[in-house]
Amino acid sequence: MRRVGGSHRGLDMWLMQRASAVYMALFLPFFLVCALAAGPLDYAAWHGLFASPAMKVATFLFVAAMLAHAWIGLREIFIDYLHCARCTLLRLALYFAFAVLYLGCLVWTVDILWNVR
Amino acid sequence: MRFRIYRYDPESGAAPRVQEYELDFDAKGKKVLDALIAIKDTLDETLSFRRSCREGVCGSDGVNVNGNNVLACVTPLEGLKQPIEIRPLPRLGVIRDLIVDMAQFYQHYRAVKPYLINLDPEPENERPQSPQQRAELDGLWECILCGCCTTSCPSFWWNPDKFLGPAALLQGYRFIADTRDQATDERLDFLEDPYRLFRCHGIMNCVEVCPKGLNPTAAIGKIKSLLVKRAL
Repeated sequence: MRRVGGSHRGLDMWLMQRASAVYMALFLPFFLVCALAAGPLDYAAWHGLFASPAMKVATFLFVAAMLAHAWIGLREIFIDYLHCARCTLLRLALYFAFAVLYLGCLVWTVDILWNVR
Repeated sequence: MRFRIYRYDPESGAAPRVQEYELDFDAKGKKVLDALIAIKDTLDETLSFRRSCREGVCGSDGVNVNGNNVLACVTPLEGLKQPIEIRPLPRLGVIRDLIVDMAQFYQHYRAVKPYLINLDPEPENERPQSPQQRAELDGLWECILCGCCTTSCPSFWWNPDKFLGPAALLQGYRFIADTRDQATDERLDFLEDPYRLFRCHGIMNCVEVCPKGLNPTAAIGKIKSLLVKRAL
């Protein structure tokens, strides 16, 4: 088969990579300030930090951005380095495996965050 | 001066090797190409390399000197660590010694249609541009297609058949940026691909090595911005 290209993909991933990076860059200093303002890092302060719904949502978005960023980064690595004869199948399997793993992490994050009452 | 030069002659059947040369040569004011020519003249007439204009205009003597892709004709010998190691440009097939097969490189160049596409009737004199519109092309048209940037790019090393490489992408943007060109949309369509364009991770090796001081990474960034603008 002749090599084909021009799949009109890649831009969405590239944009998502940037957008998630911007959110993480904004959230991390914000979170640091909040954590320092919450007083000594004992259980009560840490618990109180995550009590408000706003912090829950912001943290959830941070984890979602991080997982999306990581998944796209892995995809780039797989595209860069995996191109043997059967690697299309291997790449597809890896994309799928990491997507499932990261979605699981996201659900777990929800479980952890919304268990803080 | 001491040199270590990559030698390969496929017709001999021997494996590639590195040959050492000791050249009695005053390096002051001289370039790497002068030394290569002196070696060919006085020490070893079988040493093969490309050169034409010998002043950084034609782009035919791109080689890897001490690990950096350079044009031999504009790279001063003074200041180079000895023994000076000269190899062919990375990742391209070697035809002989320092001569590489540029077919893949030119194929990517042709793929971006490096010519003006304008369907209007041909004007009597010319297609005028304002000075500002013309200024958009500065830093793009100067490329001499020596291949130093593309062969220094790891993304090209990993996917040489699919990633267009910095030189072709710079040329692609040169015609996207041209106000006289009417095929911008088709050009963007062609480039919007995980391999052709988006293998670029912006590590800027191309900017570092370009002997003409051009910035392919910036041009690639502008292509990406245009794609974003078009998509939103």
